[in-house]
Amino acid sequence: MSSKTSAKDLVLDPIFNNNPIALQILGICSALAVTTKLSTSLTMSFAVIAVTACSSAAVSLIKDRIPSSIRIIVQMTIIASFVILVDQVLKAYAFQLSKELSVFVGLIITNCIVMGRAEGFAMKNSVSDSFFDGIGNGLGYSIILMVVGFFRELFGSGTLFGFTVFAKQSAGGWYEPNGLMLLSPSAFFIIGIFIWVLRTWKPEQVEEA
Amino acid sequence: MPLNKDSLPNTFLVATVLCLFCAFVVSAASVTLRPLQLENAQKDRRNNILQVSGFTPEEIEESGGIKKVFESRFDVEIIDLDTGQDAEADCQAAMNKAKDKEVNLGEEYDQLWASKLNPDKGLSEKLDKKTDVCGIKSREKFSEVFIMKSSAGEPELYVFPVRGNGLWSLMQGYLAVKPDFQTVVGLTFYQQAETPGLGGEVQNPDWKALWKDKKIYDDGEVKLAVIKGNKAGNAYGVDALSGATITSNGVTNMIDFWMGDKGFGPYINEMKKQDSSQIKTEAAGGNNVK
Repeated sequence: MSSKTSAKDLVLDPIFNNNPIALQILGICSALAVTTKLSTSLTMSFAVIAVTACSSAAVSLIKDRIPSSIRIIVQMTIIASFVILVDQVLKAYAFQLSKELSVFVGLIITNCIVMGRAEGFAMKNSVSDSFFDGIGNGLGYSIILMVVGFFRELFGSGTLFGFTVFAKQSAGGWYEPNGLMLLSPSAFFIIGIFIWVLRTWKPEQVEEA
Repeated sequence: MPLNKDSLPNTFLVATVLCLFCAFVVSAASVTLRPLQLENAQKDRRNNILQVSGFTPEEIEESGGIKKVFESRFDVEIIDLDTGQDAEADCQAAMNKAKDKEVNLGEEYDQLWASKLNPDKGLSEKLDKKTDVCGIKSREKFSEVFIMKSSAGEPELYVFPVRGNGLWSLMQGYLAVKPDFQTVVGLTFYQQAETPGLGGEVQNPDWKALWKDKKIYDDGEVKLAVIKGNKAGNAYGVDALSGATITSNGVTNMIDFWMGDKGFGPYINEMKKQDSSQIKTEAAGGNNVK
């Protein structure tokens, strides 16, 4: 990517054209774990956007000083620090949500998207470009999380953001919740379908067999 | 650039400065946010105690919030689980020793933390395989008991902290019982990580509502259990969660342990003894007047 790309492209491009999950197939693990409900998906999305943007900017800021022999561990340290910050802030200001996300906020450290952007983009680009690239990739991750979370919560629990959409049979309604939707494999199916739809819409993303 | 960035001195310099800087940022955040986090955790626990005692969120809101309702309606007692006696002083002494400072018991006594200490510290004891039915390995010596009092000062219900292993996680919660120590008012969990939609249904209000008015003891033994295919009207059984056998069994074991001799059994016996002696003296006093 040339340094001439505008901030708008940097932010919008990873959402559909170069989606980190759908095209780069990064960060699948956490997309399975936190998407049983939209509220946790949304919180996780914000957390990842914040961490990716800030750590990319920070890595870019000191890229000329980072010795190449220890660059990965330097990036890791920076990312880990931001993740701990986010975790601490969530615990202090959004206690209920942080309880539901439990260990997965901490596991943002191992989210390949964050590391991938630090190593693949921030090491070669300016601070502001890296920041916007981080936001864009965070958004790309978020959109998948929200789509998966939407279907899993709707069909798994009959609710959206905790509000009842389909009245469940157990509560006197008509809807029999689909238990599979609450288990991790369902996220694989939804991500798979999402990639299929995306590649039908944008055939240039199809890899050669 | 004065220094070659790939040189050995620069590598050490960058590593050191970065580590110090990140350590500083992270510790600063942790220290400044800690009071808020502790307050949140306490508020969350108290909220669970209120809800298991039958307060609705609306009621709590109307009566001035969690803190006010809790502090005006509840007494916190610290008891020795082995003897069932009030043991606030002993617990204070042991805590001061363990933390090597004057401890504010109300805020700093964390039972789960205490249970995992080395038994030498006098705050915990190891459980052997036979008694440890809910898989917690070691148990704290002192436990909190929350007592809801009526405006006349009579105990209306007792809330016991309970915990036990489910399928994936340690489930921590509260069990509220009436002063007859036989009738359940409610059960709730403030911390669990069972499979959402299956074992996680322990948090489903519909399932929690099943616990109300169930009976605990039959002839001095804990009989209350989570049962698959429970018969309607069984006062000692709660329907099991479908697709979550291990979680359901975990809840049964948890009740069995904490209501038994190793849990709050001694305390309950102690309270019943006090009760009956009180009734006797009252009756005796009544006779004298006649």
